[in-house]
Amino acid sequence: MPGLQVPLEHVLMMAAALFIAGLVGLMVRRNIIFILMSLEVMLNASALAFVAAGAHWGQADGQIIFMLILTVAAAEVSVGLGLVLLLQRRFKTLDMDNANRLRD
Amino acid sequence: MMESLFYMAGFVAFTATVLSLSRTNATHALIYLIISLLAVAVMFYLMGAPFAAALEIVVYAGAIMVLFVFVIMMLNLGQAGEQRERQWLAPRIWIVPTLLALILLVEMALAITQISGTTSGVEVTPKEVGLTLFGPYLLAVEIASMLLLAGLVGAYHLGRRSIDRSRQS
Amino acid sequence: MSETTATIIFALVVLLGAVSAAAVLTWFERRLLGIWQDRYGPNRLGPLGIFQVLADMLKLLTKHDWVPPFSDRVVFVFAPTALVVAMMMGFAVVPFSETLYIIDIDIGLLFFLGMTSLAVYAVLLGGLASNNKYALLGGLRSAAQMVSYEVFMGLSLMGVVMLTGSFSLQAIVLAQVDGWYCFSQILGLYVFLIAGIAESHRLPFDLPEAEHELTAGFHTEYSGMKFAMFMLGEYLGLILISCMITTLFFGGWLGPDWLPGLFWFSLKTFFFICFFILLRAAIPRPRYDQLMSLGWKVLLPITLLNLVITGALALSLQGAS
Repeated sequence: MPGLQVPLEHVLMMAAALFIAGLVGLMVRRNIIFILMSLEVMLNASALAFVAAGAHWGQADGQIIFMLILTVAAAEVSVGLGLVLLLQRRFKTLDMDNANRLRD
Repeated sequence: MMESLFYMAGFVAFTATVLSLSRTNATHALIYLIISLLAVAVMFYLMGAPFAAALEIVVYAGAIMVLFVFVIMMLNLGQAGEQRERQWLAPRIWIVPTLLALILLVEMALAITQISGTTSGVEVTPKEVGLTLFGPYLLAVEIASMLLLAGLVGAYHLGRRSIDRSRQS
Repeated sequence: MSETTATIIFALVVLLGAVSAAAVLTWFERRLLGIWQDRYGPNRLGPLGIFQVLADMLKLLTKHDWVPPFSDRVVFVFAPTALVVAMMMGFAVVPFSETLYIIDIDIGLLFFLGMTSLAVYAVLLGGLASNNKYALLGGLRSAAQMVSYEVFMGLSLMGVVMLTGSFSLQAIVLAQVDGWYCFSQILGLYVFLIAGIAESHRLPFDLPEAEHELTAGFHTEYSGMKFAMFMLGEYLGLILISCMITTLFFGGWLGPDWLPGLFWFSLKTFFFICFFILLRAAIPRPRYDQLMSLGWKVLLPITLLNLVITGALALSLQGAS
């Protein structure tokens, strides 16, 4: 059943739209949790583009890049959420703009 | 029939993402984001990448997003947080970045329409992915594992100070 | 088209069967525990007290469907639904016999793992939406517990996948014609059993709902129909884990020819359900830190050892042939 023939440009448009949604989220939100979520959306959108390209050529490489993106996302989230907890503990807020000082 | 399933999944993914990033309540936003990830997994499966679809569910939706929920539980934001979020989301803040991003999207769309071709309709099995992963991409696997180790050490270091402090008191 | 219709009807039969089996299990568990602990258990309504199931159902269905005013309404209702849906989706890939299965996909095993990992959200979101400190603590515990044990669960199954060379459950069953994996994968079976109990958070690993420290854990605020859905999800999880143990390690529907495969499958699954129920009566609940250190300090090395040994054996056998 899998192995659908969809026009590549539709999938890439989809990925671009998701990426832009993530980008807007990244620029607009001030809450650090939402910023991390926007980053996840952007990573996921680029993964979608890679998998679509892999499906276009019928090769496994697209899925492998997807797995590497997955590792990057996992590492980024674990460190990022650690920073969120630290930020909350030190400044009692999740506002990114409050974290602009090097020393407290 | 299957094509319409694909476009439906795409619609769900995009709508859920937009809804997710415009919520004021972090829990609701996360649930929308999980739905978006599941929809993307459906798209992967239909495009002939079943292994990527499974990983999307198991790792992305099942593990990474759980970490987000975990942190939201520990922070316990509550009603006051939602009020503040609503203030931060005033239209004058988001209108200009959104317009600029839309211009970018239009440019990207114009570039993408130059591309023609379809997905091949060949299913890439987990076995092929594994063989390629541990063949030509072996070095990338090693680097990825180093990255995960670095993430582990970094997360431990960030959390360590609070562990020490709670033990002393 | 008729094949599609047949599949849809069979899927409905499986769902109804699973739900009614879960309902009967509530009675069966209490009776079995009663025998085990030298007391009667529910024995008043009907023969052997079987109508207790109906009475319980009527009670739960007619209870006032209360949503606490301080809770997050939408998420509060969403959480138990997510649990039942995820567990029922898991049944889609279980091969009940040679011909009786809903779907046999290439990534059947990964699909099962995905559905169990989605079930985590029910507990988490239920605890978070209740806006109650016991529920929140229960949710936090379950998050850490289930995410950790998912790792061991996935890794313990990779030995089976290595020997079979496929993620498809039907292929895994067929590969066991010469010998069940419970012998060659004894370490994997051991880890999967423990991780399975932890994943369906049943006693002795029900730390998220430990009643003497957290009142009822993540479902403290739940009552009536929504509580019934949490219970249904838990029993469905128990049946699903038993089905998977049967399929992955005990030859699935394989058995002597004089009875259909469905019979052998049900018999083996029933055995494991009884095993899990009796385990509940036999082992006390560990402390939370004991549970976590058991996972990371004992089960993780065992699974890695199992993977190394299985991989080496598979490679050497391949080289010999």
